[in-house]
Amino acid sequence: MKAKVGVYVCECGPNIASKVDLDRILETLPALDEYREIELVVKKYGLLCSADGKNYLEEEIKSNGFTHLVLGACSPRDHNKTFIGVCKKTDLNPYLYKIINIREHCAWIIPDKEKATEKAISYLRGGINRVLYQSSLFEKQLDIDPDVVVIGGGIAGIETALSLAGEKRNIYLIEKSGKIGGKSSRFSSLLPRQGKGLALIEEKIEKVSANPFIKVFLESSLESIIGFLGNFEIVVKSKNGNTDIKAGAIVVASGYGLIDPLSSESHSYSESDDVYTSLEIEEMLKEHGKIMTKSGKEPASVALVHCVGREEKGYCSRICCNYMIKIARYLKDQSDAIKVTEFHKGLCMPDKGDQSFHKAMAERGVEFRRIQKITQDGTKISFTGMDGSPGNADFDMVILAPAIVPSEDTDSLAELLEIPVSETGFFQEMHQTTDPVATSIDGIFVVGAAHSPKGITDSIFFAQAAAGRILTHLIPGEKIVPEVKVTEVLEAFCTGCQNCLDVCVYGAISYDESKGVSVVNEVVCRGCGNCFGSCPSGALRTKHFTNPQLYQEVREAIR
Amino acid sequence: MDKKYVPRITSFLCKWCSYTGADLAGTSRLQYPTAIIPIKVMCSSRVDPVFILRAFLKGSDGVLLGGCHPGDCHYETGNYHTRRRFAIVKTVFESLGLEAERIRLSWISASEGPKFARVANEFTETIIAMGENPVKKKIFL
Repeated sequence: MKAKVGVYVCECGPNIASKVDLDRILETLPALDEYREIELVVKKYGLLCSADGKNYLEEEIKSNGFTHLVLGACSPRDHNKTFIGVCKKTDLNPYLYKIINIREHCAWIIPDKEKATEKAISYLRGGINRVLYQSSLFEKQLDIDPDVVVIGGGIAGIETALSLAGEKRNIYLIEKSGKIGGKSSRFSSLLPRQGKGLALIEEKIEKVSANPFIKVFLESSLESIIGFLGNFEIVVKSKNGNTDIKAGAIVVASGYGLIDPLSSESHSYSESDDVYTSLEIEEMLKEHGKIMTKSGKEPASVALVHCVGREEKGYCSRICCNYMIKIARYLKDQSDAIKVTEFHKGLCMPDKGDQSFHKAMAERGVEFRRIQKITQDGTKISFTGMDGSPGNADFDMVILAPAIVPSEDTDSLAELLEIPVSETGFFQEMHQTTDPVATSIDGIFVVGAAHSPKGITDSIFFAQAAAGRILTHLIPGEKIVPEVKVTEVLEAFCTGCQNCLDVCVYGAISYDESKGVSVVNEVVCRGCGNCFGSCPSGALRTKHFTNPQLYQEVREAIR
Repeated sequence: MDKKYVPRITSFLCKWCSYTGADLAGTSRLQYPTAIIPIKVMCSSRVDPVFILRAFLKGSDGVLLGGCHPGDCHYETGNYHTRRRFAIVKTVFESLGLEAERIRLSWISASEGPKFARVANEFTETIIAMGENPVKKKIFL
C-alpha cells in the first residue's frame, strides 16, 4: 500500500508563523523528488492544540485516511500527549505519528526567517523520513494485585500498613523480631510537645493487631522475590516454614541501626563507666522512670555528647539534637540541681516548636556548648571550643548520641530486591528532591529511616506518601498499562554475552540458560536503551527508537 | 573557507535533560546556529559508539551528544555508561586518524538553556574553524 503522509504545520498563533515561512514549506515539501513514491499532504493551521485545531486534525486524519502523520509544531513536551490523544480517536496508530519541534528549535532561536525556514524544512524532512520507518505499537493491559508487602514493623512500616489496609487490599507486614513497634516502642516517651508517653505509638500497634486486613509475620524475613509492579511473587521465611505471597507493591521500612561509639577513635569507655547511649537511657527511663548511675545514685553532673560518629559518617543524623534536649529535660525534671552540659557541633532543629524547646531548656540552666572537637575517655571529656581554646571536664555520667546508620539488613535486602544503595549506605531513592519514596524499581518504595535518618514525624510523612503512591497506582479492579517503547531481543543475533544484564538498573533483563540468550521483561523495561548501547551484536531493539528510525534523522542531519 | 559554509552537526539529545534544555534555550529566545540538528533519544546511553562513528563517516561535520549531569540521569546510571563509551569512541577516532575534536559530549540539564546555547555556539565555531568533514571526500568500503 502506498504510504499517505499527512504533514501539518502549526502557526502557533504568531509564534511560528512570524519566524518561519510556512507557505514556503507548503510549496517545497510536496515538490521534493524523494517523496515521489509516497502521497504527501502538506497543510498549515492556526493553532492545532486548540479545541478547533484538534477537531480539524481528527477530521483530516479520518477523511484523508493517512497512514502516517507528521506535525511541525511545538515541543513534544508541550503537546505530544495532546496529539497522541487525537490519533487515538482515529484509526491511526499513535506510534505512526511524529511531532517536529519547529518552534523551540527553529522559530525561536534563529532571527533570520530564511534560515529558520530552511532548518524547519530540513527538520521536517527528517521527521517524514523517520515516520515512514516507524511501526505501530499497541498498549497492553495487565491485571494487578492490590495487596502490599511491607518489610519492617517499625513506625514507618506500621503507618504504611494502617494507611493502606482495607476491604480490597490486604497488607503483609514482615517483621524480623518477635514484636512490632520497632525502635520507637523502646523509647520512654515522644518529644514533650508530641504528647506524653508512648500512647500514640502503642495505639497504632494495637490498631495493626486489630485490623483484619493486616497479616503480621513475626520473626520472619524475605526469602525471595520475583515480578514487577502489580505482580510480585514473594516468599516469606518464618520459623514454621515458608509462605508464598502475591502482591502488587513492596514497601521497604527496614529502619536503622546505631553506630557503635567505640568504633570512633574519639570515644572510649568500659562497661563499668557511667557512659550510656541515648537508646540505653530511653530504656532505663522506661524501666525505672529515673536516670541513675551504676552505683544507684543520682548523677550530679551529666554530659550529653551529640554528633558521635558524624564526621566518620559524613552526614547529620537529624534527630539527635531534639532527643538529647529531651533527655536534658528528663534530668532537669528529675532534679533541678543536676548540672547538664550539651556538647554539640552545631544544632539541627528545623521543625516548628524546636527552637522554643531549645530556648526553654537553655533558660532552665542546660548549658549548650558548641565545640569543634571532642575526646571522651570514660566520664572524662576534653574538647576544643569554637575559638580553638582547649578545655576539659569530668562528669558523673556521659550520654552519647550515636550516628544513625543503615540497618544491618540493608545490603542483603538491596540485593534481594535489586534496588541500589546510596553512598551513605541507606537505600537510594529515585530522586532525592522530586521522587523521594520511589526506588529504581517500579512498585518498590522505601520509607522511614531505611531511606535516611528520620524521626517519627518524618517516617510517618514518608509512609503516608508511599501509601498515596500505591493507592493511585494499584487501584483494585483496574489494569495497568506498561511502557510500550521498550526494548526487545532479536534472539537470532544474541550471543549471550550478558553485557546488557549488567547495565540495566531496573533488572528488566534476564538470561535464558537453555536458549543462551537475553530475555527482556517488557513490563519492567523503561526503554532507556542503555542495553542497546552495550550490545556488541546488535541484538537489541528499542521500540520507537530503532536504528533505522534514528538513521533517517541522522541522514537529514548530514545532507 | 566559503563564508556561507554552514556545517551540519548531528546532535543526540536525551529526552529528559538536554532536549529539554534545548527547548528552554528556544523558550528563552537564545540564539544558536542552525547547524545543530537535534535528534531526541530517550537516554544518552542509547547512542552506541557505532552510531556516532556512523554519523561521522556518513559525513556529519560534527556529532554532539547531550546527557543529564552525572548523578542526575533519569535512568540512574545511563550517563555514566555514556561517558565511558564516549571515552572509547574518542580513542577509536584518534587511532583511526579521524578528528576527535569533531565529537563532543556535554552535560546539559533541563534548566540549562543558556548552557545549551553556549555549547551549540562554541561547538559550531569549532567545526567551522575545522572546515568540512574530510571524510565526505573519501570512500569507505
